[in-house]
Amino acid sequence: MSALKEYKGSRYIAEKQVLVIDVGHAYTKFGFVSEAAPRGIVRSEIKCPNTDTIRNIFSYKDQNDLYELLVEFLHNIFFKRIMISAKDIKVVNVESPLVTTEFRNILTKVLFRHFEVGAIMFLPTHLVTTCTLACQTILVLDVGYEEASVIPIYEGVPILKAWQALPLGAKAVHKTIMKAMQEILTEEECTEKLIEDIKVRTCFVTTMERSAKLLTDNPPTPPPNVKYFTKRSLEIPGTVRESAFEKLWERDLDNLSIPTMILDSIIKCPIDARKPLAENILLIGGTVMTTGFITRLKSELEHIVNSEPYSEKLTLRKFKFHTAPSKPNYTAWLGGAIFGIAADLPSRCLSKEAYLETNHVPDWVCLIDNRKDDGENIEY
Amino acid sequence: MAYLRQPEYVQYSCSCGSLKSISKIYFCRHCLSIRCGFCVCHEVDSYYCPNCLENLPTSEVRLKKNKCSNCFDCPCCLQTLSIRLGQSFSVSSQSKSEEESKPTTKKVYYLSCSLCRWSSRDAGIPDQTVATGSWKEQENPYSNRVNALINYYKILASFEKQQKERKKFHIKRSFLQFEKFGITSAMARKRSGRPPLTQAQNQTVTTPTPSVAEENVDESLSDLFTKSIDITRTTTIDQRLQHPELQADTIDKLRPQKKQFIIKRSQRCRTCEHNVSKPDYCSTSTKFKIQLAAYYHLPEVRIVTYEPLQFGKSSELLLKLSNPTQHQMQITFLSLETPVITTTKVQGVVEEINKERIQMGCDSPNLLPSAIRQTAVIEEVKPIIVVPNGEILLPNSSFTLPPKDEAAEYDELNVPQNFQDDPKVVVWRNSNKSVIRLHVLPDVTKSSGDMPETVIVGFVMQFSYINTIATLEHKTPQKLDLRVKLYLTLDNSSKIARTASMLK
Repeated sequence: MSALKEYKGSRYIAEKQVLVIDVGHAYTKFGFVSEAAPRGIVRSEIKCPNTDTIRNIFSYKDQNDLYELLVEFLHNIFFKRIMISAKDIKVVNVESPLVTTEFRNILTKVLFRHFEVGAIMFLPTHLVTTCTLACQTILVLDVGYEEASVIPIYEGVPILKAWQALPLGAKAVHKTIMKAMQEILTEEECTEKLIEDIKVRTCFVTTMERSAKLLTDNPPTPPPNVKYFTKRSLEIPGTVRESAFEKLWERDLDNLSIPTMILDSIIKCPIDARKPLAENILLIGGTVMTTGFITRLKSELEHIVNSEPYSEKLTLRKFKFHTAPSKPNYTAWLGGAIFGIAADLPSRCLSKEAYLETNHVPDWVCLIDNRKDDGENIEY
Repeated sequence: MAYLRQPEYVQYSCSCGSLKSISKIYFCRHCLSIRCGFCVCHEVDSYYCPNCLENLPTSEVRLKKNKCSNCFDCPCCLQTLSIRLGQSFSVSSQSKSEEESKPTTKKVYYLSCSLCRWSSRDAGIPDQTVATGSWKEQENPYSNRVNALINYYKILASFEKQQKERKKFHIKRSFLQFEKFGITSAMARKRSGRPPLTQAQNQTVTTPTPSVAEENVDESLSDLFTKSIDITRTTTIDQRLQHPELQADTIDKLRPQKKQFIIKRSQRCRTCEHNVSKPDYCSTSTKFKIQLAAYYHLPEVRIVTYEPLQFGKSSELLLKLSNPTQHQMQITFLSLETPVITTTKVQGVVEEINKERIQMGCDSPNLLPSAIRQTAVIEEVKPIIVVPNGEILLPNSSFTLPPKDEAAEYDELNVPQNFQDDPKVVVWRNSNKSVIRLHVLPDVTKSSGDMPETVIVGFVMQFSYINTIATLEHKTPQKLDLRVKLYLTLDNSSKIARTASMLK
């Protein structure tokens, strides 16, 4: 009996490949459902057909512009990268719940109207990463390119009330490096691509003790300089390497930084949920892969929780971190690839027919779809 | 053919609203309308390796994850690796005991990149005794765990599916359910001393062991502040992302990647579902089975030359038109505002043809009848973004282009045909081509003061087209008048303009 079941299950999967796509601000991850790693990770940019310049898909001016950029971008993914006919396939779209409605609607429109895909399943990034751990209670910190966001998940339910987001991501780091390298790099060399390369290959997150001393009169000996080669050879100062990520830990005008985001989010959660959440933290997003990030986050958290005002509000002192069976930059994608198995079920997807009839994408912020009285419609 | 790639001076308006040069558009002979890469449905036709040109059926390609089993990419510079032959001296275990035997030489193979000099020996991959097939790909270190999770969710998904089906079943016979599970029946069972009817237990799902959070994050940072980094030994982000499973951070951890297949695509008209382009299945062939490029069906317009453009003064513009079809073509120029419709002349009376009707009539036996076919998803027509900033003075009379004659190009004793041409319009004529003279008037109102760099003018060209596709309604070739909107970009600073003034 069970053998028959399994046979049936595998047959369903074998019928048509289900595409899982996670469109990020800097990189787009794509692959197929029930595979352990994405087929590819590419920059979210495309050569604009009108101007012949490379443009990021989020650099759109208006809806029509975005539509054309997405058509080009997805066409490239479908036929150059993943190589699959887009018509009538199922797509799992892993997206942040904080993505703009405009982008979401246009992406759906492009997939249905231009590529005529059969159905789309929308999965929220933070929630779906729980699938990669087989845990139900996790506090997810996603540090991507544009922003860092926290959404706690308790027993499989996202506590949306406690969400936190700050524009602290790779973009902020790049800005810091760009500023620090101003004198070394010429203006035309100072491209985001080069800065990113410098960041990935040479920079790291320093420890909290050293960071505290960085701005004092007696700074610690900086790490060695690195010889770097572009068209010419240049040297990247050790101070730049060490202080590149400091932006993420400095308190801004509202006294907020990445560690306070986590603590603020925990404070907003019900009191019973706080301890389990603090002991189940998962870091995702490309920026958290930097050497030293997790060590720093832990020591910062332990330091801040013992100081005012958090020491009064929170009694917890322990923080534990999970390791997902993936590299952090595609953990959300992997969650989609695992949970996307349920894309077989029509009730979990938005079908082409339903979309063409109503021209409406269900969204959690929209009261048409998210009513208190009928639980069926709540997507997540 | 260099002009195919030059800036698009002459743009045809596609039925979807995009503007493209004639080399980039298709002409669907079944709906008689222009299609382009944006508004056709692309389909994957066949897969092949770009290096060894091996092509495999789709099912096998899926099994191999779109990767060629013989060809490899360099992990360093992403070029194709070549397989090199080397020699190795080996002493077999048997010969060790017999002391007199000499070490034997053996043929071994290793991979090497001819561009960046990376080789599998540098990376510490053992040499292989067989040239192809024995190179191992690195395993994903997490694959076991992920597979366990995937199996678990597969079972959950099938449970949910069963539940959905069971629900449907109950709704149909709700009265029976009431009897069986209702309060009264439960009470009756209790009274009679029988155990209550429990719902059939679901098979127990073995949940995979949940991940355990660690308090200690072991990252060794001690040497980070003292050790110097050799930038040439650390990988770039592109090299890392080439292999998402491992994302090696140093060069020596890089492993060769199997080469990805690439595809041949066929294009299908979304309205009538006929192919407008279908490549030959064979990967070595560059031919097409079906190729309805507009280049073979629409009159081609090229700018020959024009006078420098000036305000308030009309400048001469010479256009060369050629007829690529086997039929004589009647060409008329109309103003830009004319609607782009298809007309036919029935006994001298002009009749408009509804495009929908043409499609209905052309059900070919190869396609499903239109009643069964899915309704086509039509995208909204894009607004044309080009704003003409000049006027073009068009002749009222129409003129004829003779059919293309392949032989005539080699025939020097070309007999000039007798056409009653207006010498003011037609300047030159040769076989299926002719040059015509038009006048351009840059628009003063739309540009403020200065003479704009480029003047864009547009017009509608009406041309006669013989529809040779036999349909149920029309067994004989049907003569139609088609219209296409064209935009010409006249660059005032370009060389063509200057040569025109010299010609004067």
